[in-house]
Amino acid sequence: MIRVEDVHKYFGTLHVLRGITLDVSKGEALVIIGPSGSGKSTLLRCINLLVEPDAGRVFIDGVHVNRHDINREWVRQQVGMVFQSFNLFTHLTALENVMLGPIRVKGVSREQAEDKAKQLLARVGLAAKANAYPAELSGGQQQRVAIARALAMDPKAMLFDEPTSALDPEYIREVLDVMTALAREGMTMIVVTHEMGFASNVARRIVFMDGGVILEEGHPQEIFEHPKQERTRAFVSKILR
Amino acid sequence: MATAEASVADVRGHPVVRRASLIRVIEAVIGASIFLVLLQILLNFSLLDPEFWRRYGGSFETGIGTTLRFVGIILPLSAVLGFFLGWLRISRFRTLSWPVAVYVDFFRGIPPIVIVIYASIFGAALLQVRFAGKDLAWNVAALALAFHSAAYQSEIFRAGFQSVPRGQIEAAQALGMRPTQTMYNVVLPQALRLSLPPLGNEFAVVIKDTSLLAAIGTLDLFGVSQDFIQAVFLQPGASVYWLLTMWTAVALVYFAMTTAVTQVLLFLERKFHVRGLEGVSV
Repeated sequence: MIRVEDVHKYFGTLHVLRGITLDVSKGEALVIIGPSGSGKSTLLRCINLLVEPDAGRVFIDGVHVNRHDINREWVRQQVGMVFQSFNLFTHLTALENVMLGPIRVKGVSREQAEDKAKQLLARVGLAAKANAYPAELSGGQQQRVAIARALAMDPKAMLFDEPTSALDPEYIREVLDVMTALAREGMTMIVVTHEMGFASNVARRIVFMDGGVILEEGHPQEIFEHPKQERTRAFVSKILR
Repeated sequence: MATAEASVADVRGHPVVRRASLIRVIEAVIGASIFLVLLQILLNFSLLDPEFWRRYGGSFETGIGTTLRFVGIILPLSAVLGFFLGWLRISRFRTLSWPVAVYVDFFRGIPPIVIVIYASIFGAALLQVRFAGKDLAWNVAALALAFHSAAYQSEIFRAGFQSVPRGQIEAAQALGMRPTQTMYNVVLPQALRLSLPPLGNEFAVVIKDTSLLAAIGTLDLFGVSQDFIQAVFLQPGASVYWLLTMWTAVALVYFAMTTAVTQVLLFLERKFHVRGLEGVSV
């Protein structure tokens, strides 16, 4: 479904991604862990072209997407993205946030978009908050709206960039529950997170990134209990504590 | 949590807000009337002196007409120009943003009255129609005032644009929006909402600054009044208290114009109000 081939990215002289190769099959939930600055976010952004890779190739559903002649807007419609800081449109209600993409980008009618948005908000447990503005919602509620907003575009895959890192502890559960349900329904997803419980439950494979390379990958149990690399071991012991 | 919900419920009651503003207007009118009556008693003049209005009435009407015409040219032009300059100012291409920065610094650094005089002399000369009549010089000077205000307004709009968090723009891109769609659906509604209060300020300044055009002899309200008061004391039967009558009337007209415009902006502010984003009341 998503294939990343020897991708490099520089920010000025900083070599952020140093040859990443990754394959995510349809219906798989992949978790990426790693210390901050290891390039996890940049890798996600290279997949939906919010960041343009400097070298290497990215494929989505078999289509080579980081070509110069590609329609970036089309690529971004194929994969939904959920951000650490939610990034809801603050001047729109929860419902309008979810409706905006389908109406403006896909040209769906208002009625259809509204029906679908209501269904999606119900699915993330927020049917009652449809007319609330983001500033009236808790962090956990905002993030669930953001997930519904991304799903409204019918993406083939979802990218989650530390979706629970900015949340107060009491709101983390509700967001992870929505994501777990999504994974169980067979959504292809790549999740950057340090939630080890979620990773063990949902992912069959965890990738550990450090310094712009993939240092180690494997089943959650292997990575958490018997990491092969010294740096993986050091990192895992820090987040498990 | 309970208190937060209570305050939201209050704000939701839009009729309450509206009625309160109507009461405020009535209060303001009553207050201003009492102030004016006291002022007239204290300073011993009358705003309703028939002999004064017989002589001044014509100038007054001409003056208001001319001032309204200037405001009608300058306000919309400066707002549109200021908006696009503010947009260019945040361009990531320096070839676009740099000239705007220079433009803003230029107009911010020169007194508007000097700009008016310059424009009337050199503007007309540059257009090689030196002898084409006063009207052209006046309009060029009005344009120059519009350019002057546009510099200030571009900074207001720039602040508005930059107040929209980068993350929301990325979220719009991630949904597959084109740059123009992102601008129209995400950036503009929020940028304009935040630009409204300082814009009200600037519009009030623009209206009052049209009086500077009198420096080149325009027949705007300030200009005709200055001419009238100098001429009237050469005529028999003039009262020195007419000075107070006239300038009070002039002040009232400017006050009415600025209030009308700021009320329109206040209305827009209320219309674009977003629940949960109310400012602090202390």
